[in-house]
Parts: sequence; C-alpha cells; structure tokens
Amino acid sequence: MSAAMDVQPDKTSRLRDSHGFLDRVIGELRSVQSPQKDTLVGVLQYLSDHIRVTRSEIGALRGDQVNPQLFGNTADELEEIVSETARAANRIMDAAEAIETVATAVDPASAAALMEAVTNIYEASSFQDITGQRITKAVRALQSMEAKLASLMDAFGPPDGTDAPAPAEADGDARLLNGPQLEKNVSRQTDIDALFESLG
Amino acid sequence: MTLNKNMRVFIVDDYTTMLRILRNLLRQLDINNVEEANDGENAYHMMHKSPPDLIISDWNMAPVTGLELLRKVRADAKLKHIPFIMVTAESKTENVIIAKQAGVSNYIVKPFNAETLRAKIASVCGAMA
Repeated sequence: MSAAMDVQPDKTSRLRDSHGFLDRVIGELRSVQSPQKDTLVGVLQYLSDHIRVTRSEIGALRGDQVNPQLFGNTADELEEIVSETARAANRIMDAAEAIETVATAVDPASAAALMEAVTNIYEASSFQDITGQRITKAVRALQSMEAKLASLMDAFGPPDGTDAPAPAEADGDARLLNGPQLEKNVSRQTDIDALFESLG
Repeated sequence: MTLNKNMRVFIVDDYTTMLRILRNLLRQLDINNVEEANDGENAYHMMHKSPPDLIISDWNMAPVTGLELLRKVRADAKLKHIPFIMVTAESKTENVIIAKQAGVSNYIVKPFNAETLRAKIASVCGAMA
C-alpha cells in the first residue's frame, strides 16, 4: 500500500495527520480484492468516525463556550481570596493586640478572661494560613488542567502549534509537599505524637 | 516544665499572618526575644550569623523548604545542636518519618493551639538542655 510510505517517524506528527493516514488506508483497502477486507475496513472506519467526532467536540472548546482567560481569571480570583483573608486576619489580630494591651490595666480576673479570649483569637487566626495553602493547591490544579486542555486542543485540531509537555511528576522532596489534607484524611496532633514517639 | 523566658527563638514561615500568630503566642508565654524570616534561605543565613536557642519553622516554603532548612541546620556544626520544631499542615505519616530522620526535634500540625506550642517548646528545650 502506498499510503504506508507516507508515514514518517516524525515526533511532531499530529493526531490529525494520523487520521488522514487512516482515511487513506481505508480508501486503499476498499480497492483491494480480498474476502477479508470488509471486516477490517469496518473496524478502521469505526475508528476514523470516532476520531472525527472527538476532534469535532474538542474543536468546539475553541469556540465561545470556553473563555481562554477562564483558568487565569479563576486563579486570580482565588489568589485574591488569599490576600483578602490575610488582610482580614491582620485586622482581627490588630484588635486582639489592642485587647491584650487593655488587659494589662484591668483587675486580674478580668485580665485572665481577656487573655484567654485573645489567645483563642490568635489560634483561630491561623485559618488564613490553612485556607491559603488549600487555595494554592486549587490554583495549581487549575493550572495543570489548563495545560492538559491546551495540549488536548492542540493535538486534536488546527491551528498548528507545539505539543505542551506533560506535567512532570513530583519526585524527591517535592512529593512531600501536599499541603493541608482533607478533613477526612487529616492526622490529629495525638496521631502525630504517637507516630513521632514510635520512631524513637 | 518552666520555659526559659530569655531564650532566643527563630520563627520561619512564608505566611506573615502565621509569623504574627507565632510571635503573639510566644509573647503570651513571656518569650519576647523572637526573630523571623519568610523563607528557609534567609532564615539559614540569619541564624548562621547569630544562632538562636530554638527554631520553629513551617515546611511548605519556597525556594528553601522547612525540610531543607532542617537538613542544612543539622549539617552545620554551628547550628546542629539547636532544637528544631516543624509547624506544618503536612500531616502525612511519610512527612513525619522523613522529618524525624532529618533530625527534627518535634512536630506540630496546623492548626494548633497555644497549649500545644507551649508543651512542645517545653519538651524540646528540656530535652536539649
């Protein structure tokens, strides 16, 4: 078959090139006089049709349904949440520090009550750190999805572009940076203490 | 266990909010001699110039993580004896094991409370005394 001669082992060849090749193979097979060809042509035609539909669906993502800035804007919004919560946490601590100062000028019982409340405020203010880390994880996930979608769109349809590299899997110490765990998976301080003690 | 109120504590976290929380909670423990840095690299250079009595560090920071800071501290003859508490949201078993192997003195999971902080400081400073 002459179509086979057209295929080059080129790393930059795209799915659409392969699809074109597949259609040419099907065309040439149809002209072959062989009793077994119908089954093979049927299977290849099914594959070709499936690729065509998928390309069409992926191509639709280039249209108005998906704003190309969607991921970037969403990431910006999430990062703004981190900034806003930081500002809020600092205002809360401004107030707590003011209360702590006042506590030094009141009777001991009142001072103790105020200091306990202030301590609770400081402890609770760590929400900003935790939520910030969670949001950062979400932003990274969005960026990863954006890269994968761009790669998919590039592979399935025009215009020409370069293949997006596959995101590198974390290894070494980087695999240890997972941030806060979901509530259902989180280890309590008592769990950590027990583990720590068991390690000697 | 009574804490040494005069100890110099070095706190490291890339979230300024957390640095402020730690500083405030330490002040409530009457520990006022506190220095801070936003990342492991700066922290290492600062504490190498003037070694503290205790290091309290976050893990997840860039460009130098808390784990890398811990390893640098433990590899540094001038700093290796200093108690090092990791305060982090990284709570997987693997993290605790690796931190322990790297020489961490104790491990606090965020979010934490003031009593946990006090107890861990008392524990490591007593153990290292």
